[in-house]
Amino acid sequence: MTKRKWLVQTAVVLTASMMLGACSGNNGTNGGNTNTPPPAAGEGNTSESGGEGTRSVGGLTLPIAQDKLELTLWSPSGGNFRGTDFNEKHSFQKMEENTNIHIAFQHTTEASAEAFNLMMSSGQLTDIIYSDVWGTEATKYGNWGALLPLEDLLAEHAPNFSKILDENPDIRGQITSPEGHIYYLPNLALASEDLTQMFPQIRQDWLDKLELPMPETTDDWYETLKAFREQDPNGNGSQDEIPLVTVSLENIMFLFAPAFGVEYGFFVDNGEVKYGPADPRFQEVVSYLRKLYDERLLDPNYLVDNTFQSLTEKVTTDKAGAWFGWSGSYMGNFTTLMEGKHETFKISPVLPPKGPNGDQRHASFRWQAAAHGLAVSSQTPNPVEVVKWLDYQYSEEGILLNNFGVEDISYELVDGEPVYKEEVTHPSNGLTNTQELLNHTIGGGSWATVADPRYAEQIRIANGQTENPLELYSDFLDFDAKMPPVQFTTEESDITVPLMADIQTFVAETVNAMIMGRGAVEDYASVITQMEQMGINQVLEQYQAAYERFKSQS
Amino acid sequence: MALPSKTASRTRSAGKFSPLLRRMVANRYLYLMLLPPILFFLIFEYKPMYGALIAFKQFNPYLGIENSPWIGFRNFEKFFESYYFWRLLKNTFLMSFYSLIIIFPASVAFALLLNELRVKKFKSAIQTISYLPHFISLIVICGMIIDFTKPGGIINSLLLWIGIVNEPIQFLILPEWFRSIYVGSGLWQSLGWNSIIYLAALSGINPSLYEAAVIDGAGRWKQLLNVTLPGILPTVLILLILNVGTLLNVGWDKIILLYNPSTYITADVISTFVYRRGVMEADYSFTAAVGLFNSVINFTLLVIANRISRKTTDSSLW
Repeated sequence: MTKRKWLVQTAVVLTASMMLGACSGNNGTNGGNTNTPPPAAGEGNTSESGGEGTRSVGGLTLPIAQDKLELTLWSPSGGNFRGTDFNEKHSFQKMEENTNIHIAFQHTTEASAEAFNLMMSSGQLTDIIYSDVWGTEATKYGNWGALLPLEDLLAEHAPNFSKILDENPDIRGQITSPEGHIYYLPNLALASEDLTQMFPQIRQDWLDKLELPMPETTDDWYETLKAFREQDPNGNGSQDEIPLVTVSLENIMFLFAPAFGVEYGFFVDNGEVKYGPADPRFQEVVSYLRKLYDERLLDPNYLVDNTFQSLTEKVTTDKAGAWFGWSGSYMGNFTTLMEGKHETFKISPVLPPKGPNGDQRHASFRWQAAAHGLAVSSQTPNPVEVVKWLDYQYSEEGILLNNFGVEDISYELVDGEPVYKEEVTHPSNGLTNTQELLNHTIGGGSWATVADPRYAEQIRIANGQTENPLELYSDFLDFDAKMPPVQFTTEESDITVPLMADIQTFVAETVNAMIMGRGAVEDYASVITQMEQMGINQVLEQYQAAYERFKSQS
Repeated sequence: MALPSKTASRTRSAGKFSPLLRRMVANRYLYLMLLPPILFFLIFEYKPMYGALIAFKQFNPYLGIENSPWIGFRNFEKFFESYYFWRLLKNTFLMSFYSLIIIFPASVAFALLLNELRVKKFKSAIQTISYLPHFISLIVICGMIIDFTKPGGIINSLLLWIGIVNEPIQFLILPEWFRSIYVGSGLWQSLGWNSIIYLAALSGINPSLYEAAVIDGAGRWKQLLNVTLPGILPTVLILLILNVGTLLNVGWDKIILLYNPSTYITADVISTFVYRRGVMEADYSFTAAVGLFNSVINFTLLVIANRISRKTTDSSLW
């Protein structure tokens, strides 16, 4: 009897769950599902007949969906994004209210390229996909058929984004594939002083103590670092200073290579694409760094001890003298960490060094359109709503939500200007203000939206930095010398990808070995010959073609 | 298995296949127990072999395996044409080979030593301690290796203190140290765990053989040579053959965590190359081609090792 009863119960449960499954299957993404009640009949009628309850944001009609619509979005979480579910952020809650679209986030805890690649290759995509590699990879996935070409939908349904494109014509070229498609909407920074990323930073109090001037040339840098090493600026009686610290060779290259007229990667020299390590001038960079390494001015352990954590430790234990880093996570962060722990601790930004031939420019900056942003799956059943939701991110209201959060929760309007509340700029819960802000919103720099300069400015001032270090570099950004975010056709990448895999291995290996004193720097010409044998010239041909196509588009 | 043959002989007249059927019915529970492993192999080992087809295609997940265009041996050519092909092959082989000739005999020796211990408590304490590293996550192991081998780490401090070196050695930056670190830490990680199977083989040796040896006047050493070693030799040989069959499979995870550009010259192996070139670039046809190439080489080595073993001793896989 009991057995029979059990069977009946199981059958009931099974049927019920199958019916539920069928229901949600029918509804698909339209499902208001369990936690949202279906909209009342009356409500639907009024907005349909009279357009009541609707409003326009820069030409985009809100709410986007009459009935609650659910869209899925894949994105890493944690790290720079903070939080395990973006729907916990006030900004996204408010967006759902305004657009009547619920975003079901699918998060990976790691921002790893593997996770992204596997997801893209699974063939099962969410409606919207976040990635920080769209700048270079969107074309490939577009050609696979994974991504929806957006250009026509944008023209028709995205008034806000289209307006930005019209006002900033360069952006279109930066996100258009060789075939003329737009596959992703990027993070945007519009003013030129917001484009600088990392920059050289030095211990101002060490300079003052040793009565040294701010280094201006590469030779000055050598002398300054040497003084840091020899004259015990931290005053503990032992030579434990590590004058120059870094998390990667790339950052050191950003600092010094432009002073010698090159970069550690592709760059443009009078309209001609070049690969830095294959340029004869690169020998000078290597021999300069070799000298720094040999005299222990560059962290002797830079290749192994390469985490931000250990760099932070070297800075906060008063051992590091200079580095190349971000305004917030390096300069601001270190200053906050040392507050009250060190009497004189002060970091100053340094202008890019001038090289022996007078070259001086700053290479670490972004384009207006970043490589990160949101793309749309070709399989989405609601392309129009998706594009409208994306457009909302670029509306005045969306930009404010993404950068500042929700009014009266994280910011207030003072004379029409958004100003973060005291709880955000000076949180009492032990978090830094950047962290606290990311509890409220996604952050204007990391999403498909426009980065609001007032965000960085207010956080910086709250941290006691009155000047904007980034402004220093505006004059040194050479937009013609930086390799633009070109996209390659399938034929082009079939040539470049396998060749560059070997060449990059070769370069990383050879350059590091030479800096560490293995291999003769004088023989650098033979390194270049080797690269030519490995096919660097073929690669450069493809880059040149892509570059010229890029130029003609924008 | 006496029962089925009896049944079979009694019903020989009843058609060609029925004896087998009848045997299967008679031993249905045994067959039922066989089912899960057969299914396992079908689903997880044989079915995926179909996917190896993408090695000969330009795989696009949105077209599927079926509809992706054939490109013949292009992916294999890409691998063979790589500037680093021979170096990768050499590094992979050496890394594996050193692991094999050091870790394999060490595990056998360790099991024999443990077997000679007579104090029960001491023996099990040593066993437990030697298994422990096997259970530590690889990430943690590599973190420990990095910390220990740093210029200010425990190994360098020790060497400086004894006076063997005057300057700390940059172990993880010097390519000549990489294989030693890899194999040395591998030994520490797997010595105890690998010895378990030999301990099991040792406990299977008939005690009367030892009694007979003692009566014949054999000491501990002679017992080891004439009873213990021949007793576990078949197990050792089978495991050796199986190990040879995975010679080209060097895991990428530990190497990825320990290597850097300055040690590529000795540390870069096929799997790390595939990781950088295939997985990071999402070129799965290429990774499949390399995987297939590895399997062919491994299989060849396995067949050769098995043949040698069969010729020289009586033990072999088939």
